[in-house]
Amino acid sequence: MRDPINKRILRDLAKEWKRYLVLFLLMSFMIGIASGMFVANGSMLKAFDDSYTKYSMEDGHFILKEEATEELLEDMPDNIDIYEQFFKEVPEVTDGNEDAVVRVFRIREDLNIACENEGRLPETEDEIAIDRMHANNVGVGIGDTITVSGKDFTIVGLIALPDYSTLFKKNSDIMFNAIDFDVALLTDSAWDDLNGNITYEYAFRYDETPASDKIQKEWGDDLVEKIAVIAATGGYTDNKDEAEELADNVDEWTALLENIDETTSMEDISEAMDNLEALEPYGDNENELTDFVPRYANQAIQFAPEDFGSDVAMMGVLVYVFIAVLAFVFAITTSNTITNEAAVIGTLRATGYTRGELIRYYMMMPVIITVLSAVLGNILGYTAFKDTVVSMYYNSYSLITYETVWNPNAFINTTLIPLVVMTAVNLFVIVRKMRLSPLKFLRRDLSTSKRKKAMRLPRFRFLNRFRLRILLQNIGGYIVLFFGISFVMLLLAFSVGLPETLDHYKETMTEELISEYQYILKDYKDEDGSIITTDNSDAEIFSMENLVTTDGVNVGEGITVYGVTDDSSYIDADLPEDGVLISSAYGTKFGLKEGDTIVLKEKYADKTYEFTVRGIYNYTGGLGIFMKNDMFNDVFDLEEGSFSGFFSSSKISDIDEDMIYTVITKEDIMSLSTQLDHSMGSYMDYVSIACLLIGILVIYLLTKLIIEKNAGSISMVKVLGYENSEINSLYVNLTSAVVIVFAFVSAFLSIYGLTFIFKIIMCSMSGWFDIYISFKGILKMVGILLVSYFIVSFFDVQRIKKIPLTDALKNVE
Amino acid sequence: MSEKELQEFLSVCNVYKGFGEGDSRQEVLRGMDFQVRKGEFCVLLGPSGSGKSTLLNIIGGIDSADDGYISIAGDKLRDMDEKALTRYRRKHLGYVFQLYNLIPNLNVKENIEVGAYLSDDPLDIDELLNTLGLWDHRYKLPNQLSGGQQQRTSIGRAIVKNPDILLCDEPTGALDYNTSKEILKLIEDVNQKYGNTVIMVTHNNAIQDMADHVIKLRDGVVRKNIVNENKISAVDLDW
Repeated sequence: MRDPINKRILRDLAKEWKRYLVLFLLMSFMIGIASGMFVANGSMLKAFDDSYTKYSMEDGHFILKEEATEELLEDMPDNIDIYEQFFKEVPEVTDGNEDAVVRVFRIREDLNIACENEGRLPETEDEIAIDRMHANNVGVGIGDTITVSGKDFTIVGLIALPDYSTLFKKNSDIMFNAIDFDVALLTDSAWDDLNGNITYEYAFRYDETPASDKIQKEWGDDLVEKIAVIAATGGYTDNKDEAEELADNVDEWTALLENIDETTSMEDISEAMDNLEALEPYGDNENELTDFVPRYANQAIQFAPEDFGSDVAMMGVLVYVFIAVLAFVFAITTSNTITNEAAVIGTLRATGYTRGELIRYYMMMPVIITVLSAVLGNILGYTAFKDTVVSMYYNSYSLITYETVWNPNAFINTTLIPLVVMTAVNLFVIVRKMRLSPLKFLRRDLSTSKRKKAMRLPRFRFLNRFRLRILLQNIGGYIVLFFGISFVMLLLAFSVGLPETLDHYKETMTEELISEYQYILKDYKDEDGSIITTDNSDAEIFSMENLVTTDGVNVGEGITVYGVTDDSSYIDADLPEDGVLISSAYGTKFGLKEGDTIVLKEKYADKTYEFTVRGIYNYTGGLGIFMKNDMFNDVFDLEEGSFSGFFSSSKISDIDEDMIYTVITKEDIMSLSTQLDHSMGSYMDYVSIACLLIGILVIYLLTKLIIEKNAGSISMVKVLGYENSEINSLYVNLTSAVVIVFAFVSAFLSIYGLTFIFKIIMCSMSGWFDIYISFKGILKMVGILLVSYFIVSFFDVQRIKKIPLTDALKNVE
Repeated sequence: MSEKELQEFLSVCNVYKGFGEGDSRQEVLRGMDFQVRKGEFCVLLGPSGSGKSTLLNIIGGIDSADDGYISIAGDKLRDMDEKALTRYRRKHLGYVFQLYNLIPNLNVKENIEVGAYLSDDPLDIDELLNTLGLWDHRYKLPNQLSGGQQQRTSIGRAIVKNPDILLCDEPTGALDYNTSKEILKLIEDVNQKYGNTVIMVTHNNAIQDMADHVIKLRDGVVRKNIVNENKISAVDLDW
């Protein structure tokens, strides 16, 4: 026989359908968003992985100064296949944007094949296919006309090139720009006719797919050297030493021929001439390597997939907090039901129902609602919400088309973990409650503590003493209310705090920057071997290297190593002789302190570096370590006196642009916050609304609990002749005062909670910044909560009004 | 079961029970001692505070004695752990309370099924509904029933598993005269038809006349232990 008690489930559901519907919808919504994010992420990453074969993504590319001759290409290393990928970088004019630059390629057929997001590839000379995201950003679409290098083209396709999923113009740029930069494809003849200088880019694929980034790095290092030598020697050799020897010989032979005199032997002359003649065919093939970008280091390819992860980390935590709040709501609801059904439970226990049977029954509702929410949430996640998230990504990146794939991670995070959290919280509460003896249930005496004597109260006015008495009598209920409010406040802190933190970070970034400009040079000496200098009085040399962590909260996180001058005006600290200072952000995130030893390594190699922390330098703008520049050169085996570039608070204009590798500015350093703001920021408004709803729900349930518990007393004072307004002033006003106090206290507490959670999130991501909530933000949180409460108090007043006078006369055992 | 076992089916041996501590400690049972035979209709009679409900709860295994013991068919309750006590209640006991304690969103039949679920060999529910006079009301929810009908349902829930002992705690305490008599008649019928041992707690003196065995309690001790040779039917009771 099936347990007949289970028949109640559907009836309970029907009776309290409004409450369960709200819980169900809230949970489905949250699970849906999270699931959408996980699924979109997983699907996009899968599409990225697959694009290597599907769209034949390059393993890297290099640029030569001139077009390579066939002979030169034949002399290129055997382990790669090379594909021409010439482009012309020309101005693009659309209605909304006059300043864009478009990098125009021929239609690719073998490598980096375009993904046609919309429309098709050009077929005639006046047709063009451009990057989909750029088109969206500048407001053009299929059928529109754009002017490229002075010629009008009709857009027939919106595309994504696998080697430009993020529109980085230069690989050394720190941020991409999909508004002023575009990539496009033309037919061969249209491309040939297009006015513009040709950049001779060659993309390549290894014969054998490199198994890891590290192998890519090894192969890439080898390749770049060989290609540079092959290009420089016109294919004579790929060996650097041999090339140098040849260069010396050529100089020698040339000098000999230029300075022939009576002492020069005919044999030498003829040998030199023969040798130079033998080299002539190579001279026709001579070229120069101007750029080499392997895939692992190509930001245009790697940036987008690396960015996806941060959203998921943030969303995961938000879902867990949210589910914990809902689990709490459920547990309170169930606990309330158990209190109301105490006599029935006592009877059932007295007649032989086991504790387990009753616990199972009371566990059913939260589990069923969670499972149903997970089902609907996942359906929404795999459909509507996934599309929302994907469109968000499509608004940031030039992404190839994807197929939705089953994501076990999404299942674990949005279904299994919520179910476990819900089950654990409810089981804890229900088991605790059910631990009481059947007799206690029969007597409706569910308090676990021993009854205390009435406390003597100060000589307040009668009504105030009455209120105080109510407060003391319901202290348990109010403690639960405090927990409920604190949970809601934590969610509110998240929704209010995250955008505020990002804004605050942006605002204070200027102060946090080491310098307004960081000029990174290609070399500290110019072509003539002279050390590069500037007359800019703000400029100060520094050195910089990027290493990654080998242990701690986030292995593999990038750490910037700075070498600075002794009396630096940008790093205001006494740099130690035998160790380093670490930035406070690094110290906080990795829990480092003075005296600790840190081991960092090169990102794509195994070489490690060990440093002793001699102090913390107050710099929250990034994870870095600081040392004297001499020590820096020593550590990294660099020439004495060498440096990487200049810190400067003003623009430097007297350094040859060709010598500047990149300039890091405020905008670049803020990329993390900009990205987070872009992706998560838009969600936070929804989270605030969800918080308001949850706030209403939690406070509604908890104040209902308190009023129901006092129904008998309320009824009694009604019998005695108290008016509703007086009863409200006793019960509702007391609760209002308590809620206001709780709101402020929990608001401040929630900041501690959020700081803790934020640290966990930040540890799973690259970079660091502290959570920040302004006083105004706190007031906003309190405001939202109080609005929730005042909506609820309206219902409370109605509830009190409805309590019948007969309640007081009920026979309670 | 031997004649001796039949005679001493339920033994209450020197049971003590008190509540509170220190000065406020109150001894409710002070050496309670008696036996009940199998199939007997036993009434525990006494004024408020005499300890009758406390004793019933100890017999029911939902409360425990401070000293002394209760044994049922030779098994001492004090030797049972919580699981064994639950098994004991499940297998041997039916409980009827003054305030019916029915599950509000289960109908009459389903409330009785709640009791049937606990038994491997429950009585036929339809037949029982007829016996209880609830056949026509079987699909009604408790709030659609009168007090008497609700108490009938709670009796149904208690006896459907055909328990060895039916414990009734003031079953007519919340009912009017006529309904009380109906309920008492029903319990009498159940006792006769199914042979369960009935232990009923009441403060109504009149009810003692329908019992086989009357135990009068006062101040936590047995004042009188009477075997009623001239019991009358519940219908003939008057008070």
